[in-house]
Amino acid sequence: MNAKELLNEYLHSGHGCCPGCAMPIVLRNVFHSLGENTIVVITAGCFGTISGAFPTSPLKLASYNTPFASAGAAASGVRAALDIQGNTTTTVLAVAGDGGTFDIGIQALSAAAERNDDFIYLCYDNEAYMNTGIQRSSATPWGAWTTTTPPSNLKNQPKKDIVQIMAAHRIPYVATVSIAYPEDFIRKIEKAKSTRGFKFIYAFSPCPVGWRFSSELTIRLARLAVQTKLFPLYEVENGEQYILNEEPEGVPVNDYLRLQGRFGFLREGDVERIQKNVDEEWQRLMTRMIARVA
Amino acid sequence: MKKKKPIKKKPVFPPMSLSLEGTQGSKTGTWRYLTPAYLNKLAPCNEACPAGEDVEAAMVLSGQEDYIGAWEKITQENPLPRVCGRVCFHPCEVSCNRKEFDEPTAINALERFVGDQAFHSGKRYPPPQEKKKEKVAIIGSGPAGLSCAYHLASMGYGVTLFEALPKLGGMLRYGIPSYRLPKEVLDQEIDNILSLGIEAQTNVRVGKGLKWEALKKFDSVFVAAGAWKSLPLKVPGEESKGVLSGLAFLQKVNSGETFNLGQRVAVIGGGNTAMDAARAALRLGAKPLVIYRRTKEEMPAWEEEISEAEEEQIEFIFLSSPIKILTENGEVKGIECIKNLLGPPGKDGRGEPRPIENTNFTLAVDSIISAIGEAPDLSFLPHELQKAKDSIPVDETGATALKKIFAGGDIVTQPRTVSYAIGAGKKAALAIDATLGGKNVAEALRLARWGEKGSLSMARYKSGGSDGMAQEVVPFAELNTAYFKPQRRKAKEKLDVAQRAGDFSEVAAGLSPASALEEAKRCFNCGVCNLCHNCFTFCPDLAISARPDKQGYAINYDYCKGCCICVEECPRGAISVEVKK
Amino acid sequence: MRKLLTGNSAVSYGVMLSRAEVISAYPITPQTTIVEELSEICSDGRLKAKFIRVESEHSAMACVAAASAAGARVFTATSSHGLAYMHEMLHWTSGTRLPVVMVNANRAIGSPWSIWCDQGDSLSQRDTGWVQLYCQSAQEALDTVIQAYRIAEEVLLPVMVLEDGFFLSHTSEPVEVPDQKAVDRFLPPYRPRYKLTPGDPHTFNIMADTSLFINFKHGAQKAMVEAKKVIARVDREFKSRFGRGYGLMEKVRCADAEVILLTMGTAASTAREVIDQYRKQGKKAGLCRLRMFRPFPAGEVVRLLSGVKKIAVLDRDNSLGAGGIVAQELKAALFGAAHKPKVFEFIAGLGGKDITPETIREIMEVTWNNAHPKGEPVWIGVQS
Repeated sequence: MNAKELLNEYLHSGHGCCPGCAMPIVLRNVFHSLGENTIVVITAGCFGTISGAFPTSPLKLASYNTPFASAGAAASGVRAALDIQGNTTTTVLAVAGDGGTFDIGIQALSAAAERNDDFIYLCYDNEAYMNTGIQRSSATPWGAWTTTTPPSNLKNQPKKDIVQIMAAHRIPYVATVSIAYPEDFIRKIEKAKSTRGFKFIYAFSPCPVGWRFSSELTIRLARLAVQTKLFPLYEVENGEQYILNEEPEGVPVNDYLRLQGRFGFLREGDVERIQKNVDEEWQRLMTRMIARVA
Repeated sequence: MKKKKPIKKKPVFPPMSLSLEGTQGSKTGTWRYLTPAYLNKLAPCNEACPAGEDVEAAMVLSGQEDYIGAWEKITQENPLPRVCGRVCFHPCEVSCNRKEFDEPTAINALERFVGDQAFHSGKRYPPPQEKKKEKVAIIGSGPAGLSCAYHLASMGYGVTLFEALPKLGGMLRYGIPSYRLPKEVLDQEIDNILSLGIEAQTNVRVGKGLKWEALKKFDSVFVAAGAWKSLPLKVPGEESKGVLSGLAFLQKVNSGETFNLGQRVAVIGGGNTAMDAARAALRLGAKPLVIYRRTKEEMPAWEEEISEAEEEQIEFIFLSSPIKILTENGEVKGIECIKNLLGPPGKDGRGEPRPIENTNFTLAVDSIISAIGEAPDLSFLPHELQKAKDSIPVDETGATALKKIFAGGDIVTQPRTVSYAIGAGKKAALAIDATLGGKNVAEALRLARWGEKGSLSMARYKSGGSDGMAQEVVPFAELNTAYFKPQRRKAKEKLDVAQRAGDFSEVAAGLSPASALEEAKRCFNCGVCNLCHNCFTFCPDLAISARPDKQGYAINYDYCKGCCICVEECPRGAISVEVKK
Repeated sequence: MRKLLTGNSAVSYGVMLSRAEVISAYPITPQTTIVEELSEICSDGRLKAKFIRVESEHSAMACVAAASAAGARVFTATSSHGLAYMHEMLHWTSGTRLPVVMVNANRAIGSPWSIWCDQGDSLSQRDTGWVQLYCQSAQEALDTVIQAYRIAEEVLLPVMVLEDGFFLSHTSEPVEVPDQKAVDRFLPPYRPRYKLTPGDPHTFNIMADTSLFINFKHGAQKAMVEAKKVIARVDREFKSRFGRGYGLMEKVRCADAEVILLTMGTAASTAREVIDQYRKQGKKAGLCRLRMFRPFPAGEVVRLLSGVKKIAVLDRDNSLGAGGIVAQELKAALFGAAHKPKVFEFIAGLGGKDITPETIREIMEVTWNNAHPKGEPVWIGVQS
């Protein structure tokens, strides 16, 4: 057995996440690296609401729930309180979904990033407002079905590029992570932990219920997203140094799309359009890369 | 004294909604309708191995550089890994799941490596732990007899091997030439087996020198005399000098005799014997010419044998059958053949050759070796065992019509290969042990079955079938190949063709230690958990943890929601889904 | 030490003396100078505190609430739209039972835009579960900020300290600034029982299901009821240490009054003069300045008004369709009283419209001269 068996867990079994939900897997990876000396700020979303009810909590870490738009602000407050009490070693971690990051929470997030407040902001992106019943967010990919983008009116805007937005704040560290690449994931959390200032970690979080796939495929989809170049694994330091962590051969994006019911309403030519877009985005991203580091 | 204030208990309700405990009280296992469960299964190589080896386990251990451990796994089932690693037709590789991914694992080469490593590091078979009072006679010291002797001796029985030829080994020595199986290696393997305390009597022919009745003092007998009668060509001139059967030729070559085959020798046949004969003839200085009645595709010889023969520039003439041997002064001068066409497929799926009129042709040859098939000589057997024409009838346990007399190997109808013979020897040993132990033989063998292709496992026999592994075989579709990187297998290194033709030196080189390790790591370890940690890593409900004995993982069904991510992400299909809760 | 301070400056001193540790606020007229002064005080080290320059009021409250949960003494300030913007967070902070202290400069909420004094902003937040204390002077504002921490940290409810926008926030008066050591003796460091502690895994604000939510609200209700006693006690202690006390309400010449004017904030200081004039004329007028609005001092009000014939309530706010908020609360308090005075309701001073002695006189005249109040509140100062 390897050292992984010595990792501690900070999540309890018995939480209310859907079978096959990626979010607890995301959190396990994050918590492995951060350890017990962490305070977690949670905002509304799947994690906040379905995880547990009084008097139980699925977290084995000191944590604080804050209303939807305020993850960035609340985490800044916790950090300030710890600092003023002389505690500069405890890690503050804000956890929000795509709603609390891309949409309702983007203001507070941007402000915290601009202030370069010292905490890690983790966004787990399941590409819609899943907790309230699969409504579209600005993180929903083009062509996807949601309850507010029915088949006659599928999401017609491209996915908001949150990584670029955060990189533009010139924060010390931005990184994308995928649960199908655990070593890369953990390395990046450790790097974030030892970096001072604002860190943004963007985790891809496949959702069996909202994306309409059979629950055992969660990791496979997380892997395919990377392999199709749809979800590149990379880091940005100080808003400028782009480092590519994984250079996949390039699997056709349809291998990823066809496993999900939410893409079952694509019309003729849509898959090609998506593929073209993936290829173009990748090329654009590659022009920024300065290094490739596994 | 001040009155003691009552100790204020912490209020059940904190003023704000603050968690007081974890969510473990919520048994989310009740959500489940599919239940994943760890279930080690057979790898296809295991089922395919006629000798019943735990190939998968041997590969795993080799991949961990534990070659001694691998050797122990192999030799628990097959005492001749250095032999099989050179001459087996490796059905394991044909069924290897990795072949669907890139190329099969080089199991055959690894078996040789493991065997050679163990030998050179001094590993020998340990003496049996107990001594049983019963004694068993084994007729024939080929692979079937040697395997049976080994297993019985390991179980503590007294074993006597009766061998008609001057040395032990049967086909291994007298059939297979040294360039495929060096005599030195064979001797070492046989000595290792004999070191268990087996008595071997050579130059003893049962039915001639030794009466069948003399065997009655044994508690059981295993007849493994093989198939040594060559089938006749049935053409005129067959009795001439210079015409010999392939088996007779090889027997003499493998006994060290030299030959003058003349310049050109025709080898009739398309099986391994024909290939061995042709390649031996080449090394004796003649120019062999293989004449086969069908095409190359239908040749029963191993592909590797055929390709090596082609590399050695041995000539082949296909779709031709001899019709007459031409002699001059009693010596072979040539052979007249006729061309065939292939008719519709026969019983075995191969087209029946039909001669085409007026296509006769003559080839000038100085000698002819006929290797068109073998059959057993049953004349030495008591008449109760001579019912069938070309084999001894046996039931599914290998028992003959006579009590406590078993038969196996080439003398019984079955595929005629070294590994099947080794498997047959083991089966006989198990059947004999079960019989002498008063057990239900059929049941004992049923529990020992290793897959559904007829192989048996000594390990399973000893555990009564309770090794916790399912009988089902893991197909490629149940693997998750995302965890493997394509990597070509190590090609077998061979002697140059120029070097080969000169003598009987071993053609195939073994793997180097570095190559062997790399190759062993290519094994997918199908069906058996190897603690890769994926299930633990990916469980969203933290319902998977390492077992206290660290030999695997356990699922906590109080919390498992049945998402089955573990099933999907197990690279080797060691987790299955039960549909009922 | 005596200083000439505006209301906002007095608040800043109060915060500094209370040793707030985390401050986060977003500027909004007329609170801005609080933010500026505190920013300076923190930067130059007079106050050892973290100042977080958030991007909105919602974030300001989210920030200080979380910081409070993490064990720091916190402060924020806002006004009108900012207060409305953080409405959700006001509920949250109260529900989390966090001892946050906030100063709100009372200002009108648009539309139309107005930057001037109006108490509708804080009064329309009366259901959010905050203690509300309305100040009349810069001195009172400074003192009340300090008292607010004591109150909040004892009852575990957040406290809002109100000052009239511009009239109090931007006018200067001589203020006695207490000595730091004296304040330290009055207000010890914040040592919360429940706080975010790494290694002690509790989650704040876990969801409460249908059977349990009511328990938490009931607990908060009890705390709010208890708060009245605590506010009174803390004020008494403050008075005994610093010589200044304000009580739950300020009663001016109410003992034998036939007509009492009830109001909050700076309007009371204008009213004081008019009441004195009436008394000189022999009319039995009295003034009650309500300091504590939440919890509403129902019992005290009923006692105050027993035997009083008429009460004029001056609301510097209006709840559309329902009338002045203070008047509503007052009437609700009187509902079960043995003696119910006639309640005359007045709306004036919205959007910074000046409440002058004339305004007060008009109110008193209407009250004196009418046997019964009209069905609806009387609006003073509406131009035709």
